[in-house]
Amino acid sequence: MTEANAHVRVENLRKTYQTRKAGIEAIREVQMEVAEGEFISILGPSGCGKSTLLMIVGGLLPLTSGTVAVASDPVSKPRRDTGVVFQAPVLMPWRTILKNVLFPIESLGLREDDYSDRAHELLEMTGLTGFADNVPGELSGGMQQRVAICRALIHNPNLLLMDEPFSALDAMTRDLMNQELLRIWEEYKKTVLFVTHSIREAVFLSDRVFVMSPRPAVISEIVTIDLPRPRELAIEETPEFNEYVAHLRGLIEH
Amino acid sequence: MAGQIAGPTAIAFLMLVIWHLSCIFFAIPEAILPTPVKILQTIFKHWELLAIHTWPTTSECLMGFGLAVVVGMGLGILLAFFPMFHNSVYPLVVAFQVVPKVALAPLFIVWFGLGTLSRVLLAFVIAFFPMVVNTYAGILSTDPLMVRMAHAFSANRWTVFCKIEFPNALPYIFSGLKIGITFAVIGIIVAEFVTAQKGLGYLIVFAEGNIDTPLLMAALTVLSIVGVVLYAAVVALEKLIVTWDVGQDLK
Repeated sequence: MTEANAHVRVENLRKTYQTRKAGIEAIREVQMEVAEGEFISILGPSGCGKSTLLMIVGGLLPLTSGTVAVASDPVSKPRRDTGVVFQAPVLMPWRTILKNVLFPIESLGLREDDYSDRAHELLEMTGLTGFADNVPGELSGGMQQRVAICRALIHNPNLLLMDEPFSALDAMTRDLMNQELLRIWEEYKKTVLFVTHSIREAVFLSDRVFVMSPRPAVISEIVTIDLPRPRELAIEETPEFNEYVAHLRGLIEH
Repeated sequence: MAGQIAGPTAIAFLMLVIWHLSCIFFAIPEAILPTPVKILQTIFKHWELLAIHTWPTTSECLMGFGLAVVVGMGLGILLAFFPMFHNSVYPLVVAFQVVPKVALAPLFIVWFGLGTLSRVLLAFVIAFFPMVVNTYAGILSTDPLMVRMAHAFSANRWTVFCKIEFPNALPYIFSGLKIGITFAVIGIIVAEFVTAQKGLGYLIVFAEGNIDTPLLMAALTVLSIVGVVLYAAVVALEKLIVTWDVGQDLK
């Protein structure tokens, strides 16, 4: 990959949180280059600063020094061509599912009518047909997170940032969601930055896994996952898959 | 729903029966405690007089309440928007709340006369505080993650307020409205006691002066009905607007 076609480029990124007494170094030194359409996982222990990194790429947190560029544009505020999925669904309980999915259209000042077909299409794709007029309280946690994914994709962003989106779900739902996410990704081929602390999840989903050290964070290793696509859950039983898992576990524990 | 109403209705009816029988059994003078039947008769007999005095009480109550809603919500929003403004103004608002507002009634007469203005303003100052506090608390209770989500999709300050903070505050605002409407009724009645011009409060004082306890109790009954109807109207509006599931603490 050359610098010219990097979709996301992070150079010499450093992030220090200022508390009353001292600065807390969250990210010491991060370099990243992500190509268009790549599925990247950022893997690391809890509290290592991986969410911080994602929020900086999303323009939701200021950086201390270094540069973060998306499509060769330095990021200083949230971009219109980025979609974000958070750890919690953060749906508005007073809105229907459809209106929740359409929220970015309103906040970006676009015409809602132009996107309602797309909203229905996304809901259909995530198995939520027939729930458009329900309210979030009537949906399970997994379904709510699917709504959040639809919302992140409604304005057709090129970059999807996902901050441990399935960590609150039970293991079976999580497997299901991972499969669905891959299906959506195969369909739309967006660049995805996926933060997780689950090694299996990272291997299953990604083209490459960026391993982060505990705080202050650096990228300690980049592992290319050379497994065939499209991937099904059965791939988790193959020796190749488990070799990757073992290798990554070794990297995280040392 | 029917079951919820049946219980209280039965108990209320039973108490009215006990009340009625006690009055007869103990031969309680009408000037002390008229029977429920006598009160009902008085309402029908003097319905025109009661109606004449019900209207100003209701309309002035709604004016004071409306003013409290507009000013209270406005101030609540300003307090939530500008921390500096909050730091300097909120302690004063709380300090003012400690003043027993009904004690201001005589002062209001001095300042604003014996007319509608004095009564509306008294209802306003009483109903105002719960509106400010609830609006402010409602906006502040917004989940910061939801605001961050909105920012992620390029929402500006105005969008965040209109689409996130304000709807989020609505259940709180309705709590304020429910307290406010009952406070406004209190304010109007106290003001009618002291201005002694018109209204159910005036009628109560007038009846008391004539030792006409049945009329006094008739006015009191009508006043209670007005209070319940106004409160029920706010609850109905809440049911219409706040259709989503809010935390138990607000229900």
